[in-house]
This record gives sequence, structure tokens and C-alpha cells, in this order.
Amino acid sequence: MTVILFILLLFPLAGGVINAVIGRLLPRRVSEVIACLGVVGAFVMAAIAFGLGGWKSLHLIFFDWIKVGTFSAAFDVYYDPLAAVMILMVTFVSSLIHIYSVAFMREDTDYVRYFCYLNLFVFSMLVIALADSLLFVYLGWEGVGFCSYALIGFWYTNLDYALAGRKAFILTRIGDVTFGIALALFFYFFHSFSLQYINAHATTLSVTMATVFGLLLLWAAMGKSAQLPLTVWLPDAMAGPTPVSALIHAATMVTAGAYLLMRLFPVIHLSHMAMLVIAGTGAITTLYASFAALAQVDIKKVLAYSTISQVGYMILGVGAGDFVGGFFHLLSHSFFKSLLFLGAGCIIQACDEEHNIFKMGNLRRLLPHVYYPFLIGCLSLAAFPMIGGFLSKDRVLEATFIHPAPIYKAFWAIAFLAALLTVVYTFRMFFTAFLDRPDGRTADEIKPIPRLMTVILWPLAILAFCDGLLNLPFGPISNGLAKFLAAVPGARVDLGAPAAVSWGLGLGDAALVLVVLTLTYFVFRRPRPDFWGSLNETLFTAFYLDWLYLNLIARPYERFAAVLWRDVDERGINAGFENTAGGFKVLSSLMGLWTNGKLSTYLLMLLLGLTAMLTVLILSWHW
Amino acid sequence: MMLNFPLLSIVVFFPLVAGFLCLATSNRQLLCRSIALVIAVTELGLVISLATINPHPVAGPTGTWMLVESHTWIPSLGMRYSLGMDGISYLLLVLTAFINVLCVLISWRSIIHRVGSFHFFLLFLESSVIGLFLATDLFLFYLFWEVQLIPMFFLVGIWGHERRVHAAIKFALFTLCGGLLMLLAIIGLYLLHGAQTGVYTFAYNELIKTQLSSTAQFWLYAAFLLAFAIKIPVVPLHTWLPDTHTHAPTAGSLDLAGLLLKTGFYALFRFAFPLFPDAARASLPILIGLGLVGLFYASWLALSQIDVKRLVAYSSIGHMGIMVVGVAVWNMMTLSGSILQMINHGLSTTALFIMVGMIDERLHSRKFENLGGLWYKMPVFSGFFLFFAMASLGLPGLNNFVGEILIIIGTFQVHPVIGILSFAGLVFGVIYILRMVQDTIFGTPVKEHHHVLFDLDFREGFTLVLLALPILFIGLHPGPVLRLLDHPVQHLLTQFSAIATVATGM
Repeated sequence: MTVILFILLLFPLAGGVINAVIGRLLPRRVSEVIACLGVVGAFVMAAIAFGLGGWKSLHLIFFDWIKVGTFSAAFDVYYDPLAAVMILMVTFVSSLIHIYSVAFMREDTDYVRYFCYLNLFVFSMLVIALADSLLFVYLGWEGVGFCSYALIGFWYTNLDYALAGRKAFILTRIGDVTFGIALALFFYFFHSFSLQYINAHATTLSVTMATVFGLLLLWAAMGKSAQLPLTVWLPDAMAGPTPVSALIHAATMVTAGAYLLMRLFPVIHLSHMAMLVIAGTGAITTLYASFAALAQVDIKKVLAYSTISQVGYMILGVGAGDFVGGFFHLLSHSFFKSLLFLGAGCIIQACDEEHNIFKMGNLRRLLPHVYYPFLIGCLSLAAFPMIGGFLSKDRVLEATFIHPAPIYKAFWAIAFLAALLTVVYTFRMFFTAFLDRPDGRTADEIKPIPRLMTVILWPLAILAFCDGLLNLPFGPISNGLAKFLAAVPGARVDLGAPAAVSWGLGLGDAALVLVVLTLTYFVFRRPRPDFWGSLNETLFTAFYLDWLYLNLIARPYERFAAVLWRDVDERGINAGFENTAGGFKVLSSLMGLWTNGKLSTYLLMLLLGLTAMLTVLILSWHW
Repeated sequence: MMLNFPLLSIVVFFPLVAGFLCLATSNRQLLCRSIALVIAVTELGLVISLATINPHPVAGPTGTWMLVESHTWIPSLGMRYSLGMDGISYLLLVLTAFINVLCVLISWRSIIHRVGSFHFFLLFLESSVIGLFLATDLFLFYLFWEVQLIPMFFLVGIWGHERRVHAAIKFALFTLCGGLLMLLAIIGLYLLHGAQTGVYTFAYNELIKTQLSSTAQFWLYAAFLLAFAIKIPVVPLHTWLPDTHTHAPTAGSLDLAGLLLKTGFYALFRFAFPLFPDAARASLPILIGLGLVGLFYASWLALSQIDVKRLVAYSSIGHMGIMVVGVAVWNMMTLSGSILQMINHGLSTTALFIMVGMIDERLHSRKFENLGGLWYKMPVFSGFFLFFAMASLGLPGLNNFVGEILIIIGTFQVHPVIGILSFAGLVFGVIYILRMVQDTIFGTPVKEHHHVLFDLDFREGFTLVLLALPILFIGLHPGPVLRLLDHPVQHLLTQFSAIATVATGM
């Protein structure tokens, strides 16, 4: 098993390194094949590992990393059912996206750099999923951050894109500060970074400390998973190539925050306070992002806000004490959202780099190969009854509803409202782009796209449609995923809600979704860009949050840097020293007139004399 | 281990003596450069091979010495010529010799005037720095400390950029001020020790036993501290550094950042702390404070720089800040981390200085307004640039992360708030590093520059690979390096204990 998992990690790493070192010397096809093999190979290894022992919990050590005194961190993995499923999902989705990328990037000459980053990203993501030592997790955590940065700014000649990448890196890094503090604190309490050890000994923590840990980890998750208040980087991150958005900013990296909370569930679970804040963050973010998504015109921005919103459900699931529900939603989200992004990539290329949904239209007729899979993705995102996206979201909502603390009812209401808004923004985008209208696109305004790009959508579409089977709430294979994850500490197989509550919530949810969907059809079957009237601006800018950060933090920070340099450092400290030196020069020329026998004068003279001598030597250097 | 053969002396003086060959061949540039390269590589080989002679040193009462050497020098004054090498000095020696090889390589095309004397001074500097890291007699140490000033002064003053003379004088004045105070303190200590025991000696191992009143300790320590704080440099004594870097030739910046700054640190924990423990203990909180201030101040300020080399210079000061914190917290983790960080900084900042030098050679400008979009014409260069920038901001898997995480987590165990602040300070580092990357290799390429922008040639690429390998090695497998530090750091910890501070000072 150690060998299998080691090779699993080695595959994408080797792919990335080979492309980085000699990729430029290889023919294009070879470089592409190496990149795809790196990921497909990892998928095969993940499948083999799953077959051999996906249900086991294993701690495997590769080799030592840092060791000083009692401080010790190794390259090691903790393979348990949660990690087993996670790496299957990550490698599967990444494989498809790599293959899609070959077609998507067909005209880009900088493909080596692209595939190199993409492979390194998959490696880092797998490290997050598998690592046991939290320091090793942190390596993956920063690794995905770096790859995300590099890929958002992939088209670096556009300054805005590069700036978007930088913003993402800085904001996630601000989130990471508390991860680092949590690391230090874990070491303080446990003298270990091992996830497994920490989880096993979590009960030795006091409630207060568990709260502290919960909040520290939550803040880290907020950065990576773009939750409030650190949401603003994700919409900008759409500057990257669309497959990157699909892989990093939808299916995998942004869910890493939620995943981290699941991995350390036994720790955060100890504190009601932490759980409450986590649930609240998830619930509020999910509503906030739904509102913002209502008024976006860029197809990728709609999807970006929907990602923020859906990740909110995962966080809410964790906060409601049911990380299985959160993880279930993580899985279904990764399928339907990567599907939607890849579909959007097809649309954008077919419409000649057009992102604005109001300049699309008629695509049902013009792009039938994209239409059906995209519809499945939208239905899943909007939680159309009995599709995967519905079942996972329903489980999260149910877990929130039945939570004993009364405030969770409020969270449930917020999240439920967001679920209905999801239907509105999803189908507003869908109808505007796809339905027939007179001012829509014509056939000669559509560029051909490679067949491969639309073919890739189907495996994802099928999974998005059927992945509800993983964890049906009833029937002979009910709660399959939950049962599989039962061995993970803190997992609840069955939520234990009374049947009436369970059915009532489910049916009510389903019915309302259908009603809202119908309403949306009647409102948005004709394009209505200014439907929200005076609210439009507020929604479009996501409540001016980005503007606030820019003007309250980023700009003042930059301005103060200039003040520090010019006024404090140059005119203050430096001028102080230079003037003192100048003063001494004058003083010493006076003192030099008489020898007063004081040691200090002699020393000063020695000093100045030596300097003068050296200066003369420099100026008259003629060797 | 005492050898009959003066191996350490050979290591110290070989570059200086062989350097005269460079002077002699000054008129034949290629030959001169090749000789310098051979000397530098030979020296590196010599230094590395030192570890094979006594690879598992036995801990003794005065330290875990791998090699020692001692001769009478001026017996009437109690000066001995004594050298000693333990794991810490060994690492610093390897770094010194390594950086000198790089210095010769990167000056291959950029230095065209007075080639002979340039290389002579490089090798002269190498000798003095190596001597400094080995000296165990305080007077000998002082001698090397001051001598390193001379070649550096000329390197900046003759081969530097626009305001080179001003920069060289500023550098000399700052350093001399500290050095003279230190000399007074050394003499003072020598006299006090002599009066107490009747034995007049400069040997560090004897002087450390001197009983000092707290006033004497305070003044002597203050003089030492000032000298070292200027060299490190600790904010607010740093203003000579950006100026010197800005106007120094690339090789000068390499020596300065890679080696000279390290001598201040080395002297601080090797001599100043153990010699004057009470005074040092009292100063630790101040040092921690100054280190933190330096980290934030320099990192913040670096953001607004318009010259990329100056930005790297300020980043250096920021890195020094966190290392000062690590040294001042003084436990196994932070001290190992800080010493490792000395090496790490010597690799990653050196690499950035080299790359800035390459930009300068092509564009004859280092201003951000003239840069941008370099990736378009220079992809290999830019890939390396990104790599070293990431190493500098402490990406896990690369070298700086290991040192920083040791310092931060080690600090957190005793002073949680300081640990948190230092971690937060690293975010400030991310901001200026990303700004530097952004304005250098990203953005719209400038058309007018296309004809002068050519990608790395073999020599340049080779130099950078030489740097990238140890960066990856330390980042992924620091074990062998950290093991070298194990015993010497433990010895330092027993020599000087900071415990009193933890209980009362903070």
C-alpha cells in the first residue's frame, strides 16, 4: 500500500517536473501525453488502492522531513475511507480536465508551462487529501495556492489577470496565517503534527482550546474555500483558463478548506461554539454568494459565485455536525461544477471568447452537444429532485434543521432561501444563453470546437446525474457513502431524523424547487439584463465588498509603504545618520587643530583617516 | 581533533595566496578568470572535504570541534593563533566557498575592467570571512572582522554603480564604528581577565570564565552588540545596507548578503551571548522586539521600492528580522532554525541578486518602470526567477520554509504572541515578493527591449541550477544539514541559557 500511494503521488509530481525541466525540448504531443499520463496514472493507482483497502485506515510513512530535538515531521500519509474517496474524485476529475485541456489549449504556445503547473497542482491537492502530518498537509496547501496563483495569471501579459492571481495568493495566504498558528498550537499540545494522533487524543483538549482550534482552522478554510469574509478572490480568479477554473476553482482546491475541517472533525466537534460559527459562516456565505450570482453577466462569474455558495453548504454540513453530508455535497459539487465549467469553456470558445451571457442566446440550436450535458449540470446545481445535487444538499439542510440548538433553524432558513435562489440564478444563466431569441447568435457567429471537448462532458454529466445513488436516503442501498465513511471518526451514518421530518423536508424542498424553476422560466425566458433595477449594482459588485477591501486596506497599505520608505527611512533614519556623519566631519576638522590627548579624538581621526586613505586609493586605482 | 598538518590555515589562506596569481595575470582576462574559478572551486572542494576527516566529532568541554589548530603568535600579549571548526562553522564555510564560486561565475561578463584586482579582492574577502568563522581567539577574530572590510570596500568602491564611492564610504564608516567599539571591549575584557587571573590571554575559552560585574558586562556587551547589530543589520541600524547593495556590483552584493551579514549573527551567538550572559539575557526581549519591528518594517517598506535590487536588499533586512527573533528566543528549535536560515538566506537571496544582475546586464536598468513581461522573451530566466522568489517567500518544499517554520513554531512554544506576529509578518513578505514577480516577469512585454533580451546562456543557467539544487535539497531533506547543527547548538544552549528571561524578562 505504501508503494501504491507513493507512486500515486509520484505520478503527477514526475509529470510536472519532467515538463518543467525538459518539456520545452519535447514535441508538443509528448509533453501533453506526459502531463495526462501523470494524472491518469494517479487515477489508476487511486483505484487500485481503493480496491485493495479503501475501507481501511492506514498510517504510512515515506521518509523523514524535518527533525530537530522533539520537533519532527515526516512525509507520511493517513489513508482512510474519506481520503480514499477524495483521491478517487480528485484524480478522476483531474484526468478528464487534463484531457480536455489538450483540446482547449490547442492554440496556446505556452502549453508546457500550463501542464507543468496543472500537474504540480494535482500533486499538491493529493498531498492535502492524503497527508498525515499537518506540516505535510501545509506543503500541499501552499502548493495548491501557488499553482492557483500561477494559473490564474497564466496569461501574464494581461496585467489584470496577473493581478487577479496575486490577489488570490495574498488572500489565501492571509487565511493561512491561522493555519500556521494552529500548527504551532497543535505542536504545543500534542508534540506531534500527526492528524491521526491528534484526532485520537483530541478529547484531552479543553473546550476553550477546541474552540480556538476550530476558529483558527475555520479562518484557514475561509481563505482557501473563499468563504466570507475572504470571498473576493474567487470571482477574479476566473481570469485563468477555463479548465483551470473547473479543476482548481470549482472541483478541488476551493473544497480543500471544507475537507480540512472534515479531516480534523474530532477536534472541532468538541466545541459547540466553533461548530456554531462554522455553520453560521457556511449559511451566510451561501446566501450572500447566491445574491451576488443573481446579477452577474459573465457566465464564469455566475459559476464562480455559485461555487462560493455551494462550498458554503459543505461548510454548513460540517458545522451542523454531519460532515458526511458536507462531503457528499463536495463530491456531487465536484462533478456538476466541473461539468458546468467545462461546458462554459466550450461555449466561450464557440462564441469566440465571449463571456457575456446576454450576447449568447440560441445556443440550444447551435451547440446541441453542449446543451444536454450543460442542462444536467444546471439541474444538479439547482437541486432538481432526485439528482445527486439535490440529495446531497437535502442531507445538509436536514442535518441543519434537526440540530438541537435553535439558532440552527435560522441557518437552515438562510440556506434554504439560498437553495431557492440557486435555481433562479442558475436558470437565469441557462435560459439567457441557450434559449432561442431573435437577437441571439447565428450559426456563422459560432466557431467550431474540437469534438473532444464536448465528449469529455459526458462522463461528468452521467456522474452528476447519477451520483445520488451513492447515498440514497432510502431503499436497499441507502446511505451507501455514509456507511462507507462510518469508520472515520465523527461520521454519522443516519441522521436519525423522524421519518415525517425527513420526508417533509425533502418533499417540501423538491416542490419549492420545481415551483421556483417554473417561475424562473417565465421571468427569464427572454433576456432581462436589468431585471433587478436599482439593486443591480449592489448585487453585481457583491455588496461592494471588494471595493471596501481595496479602499480600506489595500490602497492605504500601499500608500503607507511609500511613506515608510520616503519619509521614515530616507528622510528620517538615513538622513539622521548621514547628518551625524557630516557633523562629525566638521567637528573633527575643528578638533584636529589641536591634539587634546583624548582617546576618542584619536579614534575618530583614525577612522576618518583610514576612510580618506581608502577613498584616495579607490579614486587613483590603476592596476 | 588536532592535526599536525595545518589544514584549517590552508583553507583560510589558500584563496588569498592563490589570489596573487590573478593579480599576476591581470592582462589576460580569460586566463585570470579561469584561474580564479579554479581557485574558488578548489577551495570549495577543500572545504567540503574537511567533513570527511572527523565526521563524527566528540562533544568536548569547549564545544564539539571537528578540527582545531593552535599556534603561539604573540606570546608577550597572550595572543594565540587558534582556529576551530564545528558543525556551525563548517556549514558557513561551505556557504562561503560556494558563494565565491558563484561570484566568479557571474562576474564572467559583467566585470571587464581591472579583472585581476577584482578577483584578487574576491578571494581576499573569502579568506577573511573563512578566517572569521574559524577564529577562536578573540583578537584573531577581531583582525579578520576588520580585514574583511578592506576588500569589500574596494569591491563596492571601484566596480560599483553610480554612487559607489558614497556607498563604500558609508559602508566603511558604519562597520568601522562598530568594529572599533568591539576592539575596545575586547581589550577591556582582556585586561579584566588578566587582572583577575594573572593570565593575559585573548583565548575565547579562557575569557568566557571571567567574572564580570554587571556594569562591566553591560558596557562590554553593548559594544559587542552594537558592532554585530550594525553588521546584521538590525533596524534602525540598517540604512547602510540598501545603499551599499544598490551601488555594489552583483558579486559584491552576493558577498554582502550571503556572507558579511552572516558574520554579525555568527559573532552574536558564538561570542557575545556566552561571554556576557547576564547582559545578553536582559537584551533578549529588546532583540526580539527589534527583530519583529525589522521584519514588519522592512517588508512593508520593500513594497514601495522602484528599484528591484533595492527591493531585494530590503527583503534581506526583513529576513534578518525573523532570524534575530529566532536567535533571541534561544532554544533548540529556533536556534537551529536561525542558523539554517543563515544558509537559506545565503542561497535564495543570493539567487535573487544574481538574477537582478542578469537583468541589469541586459537592460542596463533595474527600475520597475523599465521591466515587465520578461517571461515573453526570457522564459527560462523567468521560470528560475519565479522559483527563487517562491523560495524567498517561504513556499513549503523549498529551503526557507524549513528554517522559518522552525523559528516560528519554536518561538510559539515559549512566546505565543511573538510566534503569531512573526507568522503574520511573513504575509507582508508575500506581498512584496509577488509585487516584484508581477512587475518583473509578468505584464506586457516592452517592444523596444526585445532586441536586448536574450534568455540565459549556458554559464548563467548552470549558475542558477547550482543554486536551485541546494534550495530543493534543504527544502525536502534538511536532515543532514540539521544533524550537523545538533551538537554545536546544544553546546551553545548549555553555555548560555535564556531561561531566566522566560521566567522574568517577558
